[in-house]
Amino acid sequence: MARFPSLDWFREVRDVYNSDSTLHKGGGGACHTTAAFRVDGKEYLIQFEGTKIGDIRGATAAEIKEVDFVIEMPFDLWKDMVKNVQEHGKAERRYTLNSIDLSQAEGIAHSPSDDQYRQDLFYRYNQNFQDYFDASARVETTF
Amino acid sequence: MSEAPVKQHEYDLDTSWMQKMGEWGVRAEPGKRGLTLAELQIGSYGEVPEITRNMTGRPRGAGERPEAYRVGAYGVRAKSEIWLSNATFLYEEALQRQWSSATDVPWHTVEPLPDAVEEAECLLCTFFNEVEFVAGDVPARWVAQTSPDFLEPRHVLLAQVMDESRHMDVFRKRALVNGGGLMRMSGATSGFVGSIDLARDFTEMSTRLHISGEGAVLTMFRMGELFGQNDAEKTMYRLCAQDEARHVAFGVMHLRYLAETAPDRREEIEFYLDEAEAQIMSGVQNPAGTQAETSEALAILLGGGKEHYDEGHKQLLVIRRRQLKEYMQRVKTAGFGARFENGRSTIPKQYEAAL
Amino acid sequence: MAKPPRGGMAVPAAVSEGAAAAQSVEGVPEPTYEWMGLSAEWGVRVRPGEHGLRISDLNVGIYGEVPELWDDQTRRPRGALPRPGVPPLAYNLRAKHQMWADSAANLYEEAIQRRWIPATEVPWETLKPLPEDVERAMCQVCTELMQYANTEIEIITYWQDQMSYGYYEVKQFLATATFDCARMIEALRKRALGNGGGLGVEGRGLVNRMILESRGGWTESAVYLYLVRGTFTMHVLRGLLNAAHNDAERMIFAKAIEDQARHLTYGYDHIRYAIAHNAAEADIVQTLLMLGEVMMGAELEETTMKPALAIVFGGGIAGGRTVGMETYLHLVGDFVRNYLAVCEWLGVPRAEMLHPLLKKYLEY
Repeated sequence: MARFPSLDWFREVRDVYNSDSTLHKGGGGACHTTAAFRVDGKEYLIQFEGTKIGDIRGATAAEIKEVDFVIEMPFDLWKDMVKNVQEHGKAERRYTLNSIDLSQAEGIAHSPSDDQYRQDLFYRYNQNFQDYFDASARVETTF
Repeated sequence: MSEAPVKQHEYDLDTSWMQKMGEWGVRAEPGKRGLTLAELQIGSYGEVPEITRNMTGRPRGAGERPEAYRVGAYGVRAKSEIWLSNATFLYEEALQRQWSSATDVPWHTVEPLPDAVEEAECLLCTFFNEVEFVAGDVPARWVAQTSPDFLEPRHVLLAQVMDESRHMDVFRKRALVNGGGLMRMSGATSGFVGSIDLARDFTEMSTRLHISGEGAVLTMFRMGELFGQNDAEKTMYRLCAQDEARHVAFGVMHLRYLAETAPDRREEIEFYLDEAEAQIMSGVQNPAGTQAETSEALAILLGGGKEHYDEGHKQLLVIRRRQLKEYMQRVKTAGFGARFENGRSTIPKQYEAAL
Repeated sequence: MAKPPRGGMAVPAAVSEGAAAAQSVEGVPEPTYEWMGLSAEWGVRVRPGEHGLRISDLNVGIYGEVPELWDDQTRRPRGALPRPGVPPLAYNLRAKHQMWADSAANLYEEAIQRRWIPATEVPWETLKPLPEDVERAMCQVCTELMQYANTEIEIITYWQDQMSYGYYEVKQFLATATFDCARMIEALRKRALGNGGGLGVEGRGLVNRMILESRGGWTESAVYLYLVRGTFTMHVLRGLLNAAHNDAERMIFAKAIEDQARHLTYGYDHIRYAIAHNAAEADIVQTLLMLGEVMMGAELEETTMKPALAIVFGGGIAGGRTVGMETYLHLVGDFVRNYLAVCEWLGVPRAEMLHPLLKKYLEY
């Protein structure tokens, strides 16, 4: 059982995602990006390389500046999203990363270097990130 | 008595061509992403000419033959006219991320919808079907006019043509899968003055198509997950959005490259942006724009029915804001952000007014 | 459901700066819902089959009516209602016989299902050094094939935006064909640069020129591209697969054969349709082939493909002079026999009139 949010949790989800290619939906595919999740004041760096996720670790301030984009939302929203995935096996329509991003006035993904090209990677690789969070349905989670 | 060995017939064999080949002894090694086009940028094979003399269609770096026919009708012969620094990356990504509308969209999740909602969805699909015709035809036309010395951007454009073809088919499928049908064409894709079709310069075309047009459509596709009524629509719009984001990336990065390498063309590009911006909200090419009948359909979809039109309309305003904001961000990333600060562009005012 | 379309279309007025800002403040005007109820056929419900929902499954009711002439020069999707006043575009190919093939829809879906990724799926690590003469020959062959693929890209993309959307299935298939060609160029370039070699010398381009200068219509181009050049290319690819030195080459040529087979299926199918539905077409194709055989025969005389393939098949220059060249000549003989058989099937028999430059290969 892993607590959300924590490195253990993100890494367990990664292991599930990497181990089962059926979790990688059509339109996913190789993805090369370094992004970060900002949850409850903490930052977690995630590196996609090809069809697998590599490193997931706590990020320093300097590292955050270099990532392609950061996904950040109020903690309650993170929690609701993860709970929704746990309950339904995958995110329902209003709890996908894309939907949440659209429902927030300023969005949830932004590029620390204010580079829209890099921020657009959130759109280009949306399926992979969604598949990643959908994989968390198989990780027993506490909050 | 032993049998004499049968002497095989010996033919003449010209080997003079071996002395005329391209640079020899190169060995591209696979990187961590496999053997991508990026790994081929070695020696003379990675040298992209600023102006190409290749009118025979030979692969870049191949040995030249003086008597080869000059068959290329290549209008695009300057690197700055088409190049972008990450073309190899975008092409390889496109190959990796192809999908099938036949099998990757869960069509079985589409169930009957209220008439008004179905009509709205079908109108939108008819529009997107039509609009993708432009995005498929026009890049293809430019490929034929671009020297193969610029293999990498050409390949990205060919991948775009493939993507757009898939978009055409997925929207037609949605329109016909749920008791509806195609609606009236929009006419937004005809060649008005200043439109994508009529551009005689690649960058002019790309500014209108990739940055303005596809940028607006990208936001729409992303919105599809909000107004989509079932998993099939959600999937369809999300996958289209991924592709569209790649096309937008092409436009942004090409414009950035041009801004850096052909500063004498800056003012010309500013005019293209002026024209594109005049149509962003008021033109019929933007389905969320003020004059597009698809905006009514969107409001119905976003609200979940005609009875919630006002609510849907509020969400439509959110879409427009997002379109404007992201457009500005992309143009800024491309190196033309000053226009939003020096008063040249009206987009900041439109954006403020929309808040 | 259909109502008569209203006259004229709303041309977006030139919007002044103030008006643009004002409109975005006010937002969308009171809805008119004018667009509602405007459909040529409503109530269509297609169902996915065992292969998913394919475009051929959409041909129900009016949506499946593919007219012999599509006189609409706009981007109206087939089955959508027209809008009066929309100016025409340069869709010069508007007759079905100018591009149609019954197989186009299914070939499109097949192309998508059978996609492959050279960067990560070809086992590049299996490339091992070859004797220099063989490596040079392989690289030369790759370079020539790249030019063939480039020619295919350029002629298809030249015609593609002149093809009307009444026959969208064909346009969609051709989009996959150019994508296949891009991938072919990519894979061959990777092979040529991946094993200590380099690119070869460019071909002179006799047949390339013939294809690219065919401006009379897409059918004319298809005859040269698929029936003449394409049939030859298929035989070359099969020969290369047979002679592959490693798993990387085996995969490249096996996949290339699959892709090429789709192109040829479309090409032959289209030419057959054109001949069956356009009274003048058979005679035109005969004339085209008469000229095409001259060009093809002339190219075969001088092409560096000949010695290069002979060296590949013979395992080196020495073998190229004997068994390699025999194998090459037999390959060309097979091409000519295949070409004649296809012409017969299409209804344009060439056996009696075959140009001597090609006829001589029948002895191999």
